[in-house]
This record gives sequence, structure tokens and C-alpha cells, in this order.
Amino acid sequence: MFRLPFLFIATGLACFALLDVTTLAQAAGWIVHPPRSPAGWFHVHLLVLGWATMIAMGAVYQLLHVVLQKEVFSRTLGYVNYAVFTVGTAGLLAGFAAVQTRWIAAFAILAWIGIVLFAINIALTLIRAAQWNPITFSTASAVFYLFLTGLIGLAMGLNFAFHWWPTWHERLFYTHIWLGTLGWFGLLITGFSYKMLPMFYLAHGVSNRTAYVVTILWNAAVLAGAAAFLTAAPFPAVGAAVGLFTLAVYSYNLHTTQIRKAHHKKSPGAGVLAAVYSTRALAVTSTIAFAAILFAPARAADERAVVIFAWAYLWGWVALTILGYLSKIVPFLWWTHKYGPRVGKGTIPTMADLLEDRYVAYVLTAVAASLLLLIIGLGLGSDVWIIWSGAALSLFSLAYVCLIARVFTR
Amino acid sequence: MDTAEIRELLKQVYDPELGVNIVDLGLVYEIHNDDGDVCIRMTLTTPGCPMHDTIAGGAERLLQNQPGIRSVKVDVVWDPPWSPDKMSEEAKERLGFR
Ligand code: HEM
Repeated sequence: MFRLPFLFIATGLACFALLDVTTLAQAAGWIVHPPRSPAGWFHVHLLVLGWATMIAMGAVYQLLHVVLQKEVFSRTLGYVNYAVFTVGTAGLLAGFAAVQTRWIAAFAILAWIGIVLFAINIALTLIRAAQWNPITFSTASAVFYLFLTGLIGLAMGLNFAFHWWPTWHERLFYTHIWLGTLGWFGLLITGFSYKMLPMFYLAHGVSNRTAYVVTILWNAAVLAGAAAFLTAAPFPAVGAAVGLFTLAVYSYNLHTTQIRKAHHKKSPGAGVLAAVYSTRALAVTSTIAFAAILFAPARAADERAVVIFAWAYLWGWVALTILGYLSKIVPFLWWTHKYGPRVGKGTIPTMADLLEDRYVAYVLTAVAASLLLLIIGLGLGSDVWIIWSGAALSLFSLAYVCLIARVFTR
Repeated sequence: MDTAEIRELLKQVYDPELGVNIVDLGLVYEIHNDDGDVCIRMTLTTPGCPMHDTIAGGAERLLQNQPGIRSVKVDVVWDPPWSPDKMSEEAKERLGFR
């Protein structure tokens, strides 16, 4: 299993580089402008669909093969999934950029079909393997939420072109974001971490009881939030969902600590450490969000606050974790492909030789520092600050993509 | 080739992530050599180890090329499960665990 995950991951890296270049080229202009605009839709979906979902799909194909020790249901379906999803996403992005509502509607259908093919392939793989644990439960629910996110995205895309259900649009909009960010990315990352963290800490004998609690609480938060937004429930209902989510994040942090305590290896590597630190930061973010809802509900619902929380969650946790894990996934994929068949036939490099951990640490620290500055800039509403820190974030992200891409030359 | 020599040879097979060889990691449980027909019973640090095929296949390839060895069979077993106390002192040191 090399080519399929590789295709997704290479395409995802290219999208990330494109996002960084377009952001730099316009001096981070899109970050300053209101998010619900063609530039906002384009850049956000380049990040969440072109980069994060693309990488995540590749990583799911890779991880399930490893966790289940079984082939995925169909590799061919995987390639069709890749082709349809990539063309759909490219067209959708072009539609957003060119403000062509018909394109948006047409390619939203294609991107969603790509998602459906992915969901079918993964569902059949999981059902056939019938190994249920927090990793497979979380992956299954994450994929289900991706399916719903795409479906709602499609409904909004059709609405742009044909105005079929205008009264529902706002409800769909918030539900779409909630399901995509907390449901799809949240459950996938936590599910993956139940495997990745013990593996890289060489942790032994950690019970998965807390992981079950995280999975249940996280799912409850996703469903409660989606129900609140879909029914346009009063604000306290959203507050309850955020409260549940905060509890889920705390228990996830607790599980992370349990794994770290059982370590038999001093350092898991800079990328995994980045994922752990960003998980700690997520506990702070969610606590602040929940406190704001409780004590200053009007300010918490303000667009600026929502944008800041979205950046802190999507970049501060989702993106940093994916970037960190990539420093393990990419060398692994490449090493097994290139050097695996040569084990036992003379000296070959180790994975650490493919990517220097020091550089991963430097660049990820720079990425995290510029993100922090950007979030402060958004808080202060200072355009100059946002532009400089946004540009720095793009520059360091680009440097990171180059660092990771260099693995393929080793 | 006696079993001690085979064990020494197997130190050339590394877990590429940990950078420690499979003998020092305590992954090799038993070695039998029946007149050139070699059978290895070994494990991995965790079931669902991404390195399953690479490590077991690597051990097999390495031994196949040795003079005096006719056939090689590598059995990956999960019972008894691996635990960190099976690691040698060198391995623990290398992983920074001591
Ligand atoms: C088939 C896939 C998808 C389609 C067709 C789609 C479509 C759309 C559309 C049409 C909007 C604009 C709605 C409006 O402002 O009225 C939107 C907004 C948004 N979508 Fe998606 N989406 C998809 C997948 C995703 C995924 C997987 C995520 C993951 C988190 C996501 C996150 C967002 C966010 C955060 C916004 C708000 C962006 C902004 O206001 O600038 N979308 N989506």
C-alpha cells in the first residue's frame, strides 16, 4: 500500500503550497477581509478540502491497512475516489475564486460524490474487518460526519445557483462548519492519535477506557451542536454543545497524559510533540470559548470572536497536528517503499536519516509562533499585524512543505 | 551455523523507526536450526505494527543468503506479547529510557 496514500498526500502537500503562495502573493489580504466572501470560501476550502481532507483520506487508507492488518475493501475504488474528489475540489475552488455559482453547484456534486465513494470504501473495509475499538469507532464516525458535511456543502452550493431553500441557508451554514471541523477533523485526529501516540512514545499497557470516554463525549458534542444549529435553537443550546466539547477535549488530554506516562522512549520526535502541545493548547482554546459563552454571550457570538476560535481550532490544532504527523507518515511511506525491500541486504538508512528532527522542530516552532501572533492580530483587529503575521505563517508553512517534500529525494 | 551466530546476524535487522535492532529490542523469541532449515519465532512491539512485513521479511531475506542455510521460516507470534522489559540494556539506553 504505497501509491494510493502517496497520491492523496502529494496532492494535499501541493494544495498546501498553493495556499501559502497565494496568501503570500496577496500579502495575506484574504485574512483581513470578511470570511464569507469568494476569497474566504476559496482559501478556507483550499485548506480544509484540498489540503487537510486530501491528506486525511490518504492517511485513512494507510492507517486502516496497518491497524486492521487487512487490505482496504477496494484499491480501484480508492483511485476512483481520488480522481473524482480531486476534480470536484479543483472545480469547486475555481467556482469560488471566479464567483461562478453554476460551477460551484456542479463541482460541489462531484466533490461530494468523491466523498461518498471514500465513505463506501472505508465503511465496507471496517464492516468486513469487524474489529471495533476507539480507533475504528472514531474513524467510522469521522467519515460519517464528512459525508454529512459534504452533503450540506452541496445543498448550500445548489442554493447559491438555484435558491432552492433560502430560509435554511444560515442553519445549514453553521451546521456545515460544525460537522466538518469538530466531527470530521476532530474525531479523525483523536482516533488516529490512539494509534500514533503509543507507537511513537513506545507506550505500553495503556488501557483504552479513557479513549472510549473521549469518543462518546466527542460524538455527543458533535451531535448536540449539529442539532442546535440545524434547529436554530437558542444560544444556550450551542453553549451546552461547546461545554460537552470542552469535556471531550479535557478527557482527550487526560488520555494523552496516560500515554506519555507509559512511555519507553524519551522523545517521540518533534512532529508528535507538536501534536501533543497543540492538544494542550486546544484545552485552553475550548475553555476560553466556553467561558466566553457563559459570561459574555454577546461577544462570543460576534463574528470576530468566531473567526478567532476557528483559526485557533483549525490552524492551532487541526493543521499543527496534521503537519506534525506528516513528519512521521511521509518518511514511513517513503522508507517502506524505497528501503523496505532492502532490509537484510546490507546497510540502509533509518527513518530518522530521511528527515532531520531538528529542522522539523525549528520550522514547526516558527509556524506556531506566527500563528499566535496572527491570532493576537485578529483579536486586536490590527490589519498591519494580521498581514505581517499571516505572511510569516505562510512563509514558514511553505518552508515546512519543502522540508517534507525533500524526503522523496532521499 | 549455530543459533548464537544466527542471533548475532539478526542484529543487522533494525526497527527503522526506533533505530534499534530486533535482537536488542527483545523481539526474537526462539531460533531453531535443524541442519540448515532455520525457524525463527519472533514478535513485534505491537499487533498492527506498520513494520510487520518489513521486519519479518527482512529477517527472512538476511538469513536466506547465508551459507549453510537451506530454508528459513519466520513465525510472527503475539503470545507471549512483547513488553518493554524484554529490551536489552543497550536498547533502553539508545531509546533514552535509562
Ligand atoms: C463537498 C464538500 C464541500 C462543499 C461542496 C462545501 C461548500 C461550501 C459552501 C458553498 C460554503 C459557503 C456557504 C456560505 O457562506 O453561505 C462553505 C463554507 C464553509 N465550509 Fe464548506 N464545503 C465542503 C466541505 C467542507 C469541509 C470538509 C469543511 C471542513 C471543515 C468545510 C468547511 C467550511 C467552512 C469553515 C466554511 C465557512 C467559510 C467562510 O465563510 O469563508 N467545508 N462550504
